[in-house]
Amino acid sequence: MTTQARRTADAAGLGRRRFLQAGAGFGALTLTGGLVGRAPAQTPALDMWWWGEQELPGLQAYLDKAIAAFDLAQITPMLQDTAVVISQFQTAAAANDPPDIQYLWNGIYHMESVWLGYLAPLSDVMDPGILAASNHGPLSRFDGKVWRMGWYPLPMPWYFNKDLFDRAGLNADAPPATWDDLLAACEALKTAGIEPFGGGVQDGYWAEWYLTHALSQNLDTVGDAVNLFIGDLDFREPRYHQHWVKLAELRDAGFLNKDMASLELYPGIDLCVNGQLGICSSIGTRLPADATSTNGRIGCMTLPVFGVGALAGRPVVDMQGLGISAGSGAPDIAARFLEFLNAPAQLASFWEATGWIPAASGFDDSVISDPSVKDLWTRWGKGNNITNITNLMPGQFYEQAAIPTGQNIITAGMSGEEAGELAARVAQEWRDFNPDLVENYRTWAAELSAG
Amino acid sequence: MRRNSPLLPYLFVLPLAGLLSFVFGLSLVRLVEFSFKQVRGVDGPWIGLRNYELVLGQPLFWEAVRHNIQLFLVIPVMVVIALALALLLYERLPGWRIHRTILFLPYVLAIPIIAVVMKQMFQFSGPVNAVLSALSLDFLVLDWIGSADVALWTVMALILWRETALGVILFLSRLMALDETLIEAARLDGARWRHRAWYILIPQMRGVIEFFVVISAITMLSAVFAYVYVIGGGRGGPGTATMVIELYIFNALIRTSLPGVAAAVSVMLFLVSLILIRALFALRRREEE
Repeated sequence: MTTQARRTADAAGLGRRRFLQAGAGFGALTLTGGLVGRAPAQTPALDMWWWGEQELPGLQAYLDKAIAAFDLAQITPMLQDTAVVISQFQTAAAANDPPDIQYLWNGIYHMESVWLGYLAPLSDVMDPGILAASNHGPLSRFDGKVWRMGWYPLPMPWYFNKDLFDRAGLNADAPPATWDDLLAACEALKTAGIEPFGGGVQDGYWAEWYLTHALSQNLDTVGDAVNLFIGDLDFREPRYHQHWVKLAELRDAGFLNKDMASLELYPGIDLCVNGQLGICSSIGTRLPADATSTNGRIGCMTLPVFGVGALAGRPVVDMQGLGISAGSGAPDIAARFLEFLNAPAQLASFWEATGWIPAASGFDDSVISDPSVKDLWTRWGKGNNITNITNLMPGQFYEQAAIPTGQNIITAGMSGEEAGELAARVAQEWRDFNPDLVENYRTWAAELSAG
Repeated sequence: MRRNSPLLPYLFVLPLAGLLSFVFGLSLVRLVEFSFKQVRGVDGPWIGLRNYELVLGQPLFWEAVRHNIQLFLVIPVMVVIALALALLLYERLPGWRIHRTILFLPYVLAIPIIAVVMKQMFQFSGPVNAVLSALSLDFLVLDWIGSADVALWTVMALILWRETALGVILFLSRLMALDETLIEAARLDGARWRHRAWYILIPQMRGVIEFFVVISAITMLSAVFAYVYVIGGGRGGPGTATMVIELYIFNALIRTSLPGVAAAVSVMLFLVSLILIRALFALRRREEE
């Protein structure tokens, strides 16, 4: 015991004997606490780094219950910050100290880790039937293997406010299906004194979501999107920047909400839900709450069609997922845990905790009672959907072209053609900055185009 | 070693120098090394000057540099306003103590807090435009953070408001340390306030003004990340209207997985900052002499 510690004890009015007794007791408690807290020596300990509570409240509660119910390993979960989901994992993997299980966003957000050798192929360690039923989506495949399990889906509808449609004399049961229908609907809304179309683009995500729905309209396969980045297709061709021309058309017609440039994504969606905006881009996980708050007066539609590609007009569903790191010391146990998450009881527990739908086909969707959510799940989740093509974008293109083009069209008078020029230039810069990735992208594009 | 050995002081600072070399020196060496590599994960192949070549050939980088240079326009305005406020406070006008506290308050608050509040205030449908409309000043109603033409000026206004507070405190501290007999003599001789300020006070503040200018220059170059991150929607937007070098580095490192490129720009920024810091030390030396 140090002099300082003795002084502290004396100052607190404890006798020396009592202080020693207390110290011994505390030590014993610490020791036994530590022993009690530890799992038996034969139970493997796994680390799981995950994300998602940010977009799906209740996920943490679900995961805690699932981990407690899994008896093959002791799993320590760590909720990651949005900004470091990828970089933290890649740094840890490079340092040979990765988590066993890692949360993985779709497409390039995990494929880069595949190319770096940081992920294990799930198709080698998981039951093939369970893995396929997790609905991981096409962007989780590379080199003939599957690298990611589907965890929960994100349908991406466009909202329209049925009350505002009624006020403008529009048929709220038949939202616009073609671009001309959309322009007519916007005109009717504007005439009725309602801001017709938009949301909030200040943080950039609206520009990304617009590309998700609009660029795909002139693509025949998901692989075409990759071909635009590797230079086999060109954004300067009218077909591949028509979506930006259409956005400029909406701007020039005065159909975009006036505060769109200074609002962020979610406050922009709130405008539509609160009856201040006719049509906006949204995300399915919001619908249960939005449908409840509007008594079902929020409708869902796909972006009206202007394009001629095979993907035009199809509903978009993104997918969040989980994977196993190549550096895991117990990949088989980690695989058992992922399979465990797909068991019917776990899928039911997921729904109970989050109020949202898990990805796996084994989920009993008869429990969905809200008609809006049921309709969304039927038409998007179980419909002829396509994946979110922005998940194929290299980060550099996303940051320096995908988002700036949308914002500049809306706020700085950029034309669709200028946006195409900027996109082509940034795609070229990406190829110059990342010559080592281009070949991987080329292989990926070929696989995606082949279906 | 003898007590009066000339090496003794160096021995005392050796542990700290060693620690600093380890913490900063090693990082700096790695940073320079990364700038010559195509880093994936934590290492990569040597590619010589390619990262520098790519960065210097990219329009976005030069746009970021231009924006940093535009921020320098704030410095003379800050100096003039801070000087004027410090001189007024020095006159001990009624309530000068509370005014001093109010003026310094923005500097105490964290930048993200101020920026988030300002972002709400300056939204197109926010309180600032509402007040302007109510005052029939509709020609001043602008999309302060949403317009690519205006957003960087809004950032500059925010920087001006917060960073001026530091200038006020620095200048006031210097004024408080001046010999009052000289000022009192000028007052007795009938010198007006502006004459006292111009001919007596400001000449004696030259050193601290120079110090503030150099500190501000370093701030504009390498410490405005928090301002543009919040006001620019986390991306230097709208478009690339508020992109600055620090955000360029952040994006290269975190969002586009290009640590080598981030390192190359960091090395360039470090060298420019070093020149400014060198200027700062030169000024301080001159002031001490």
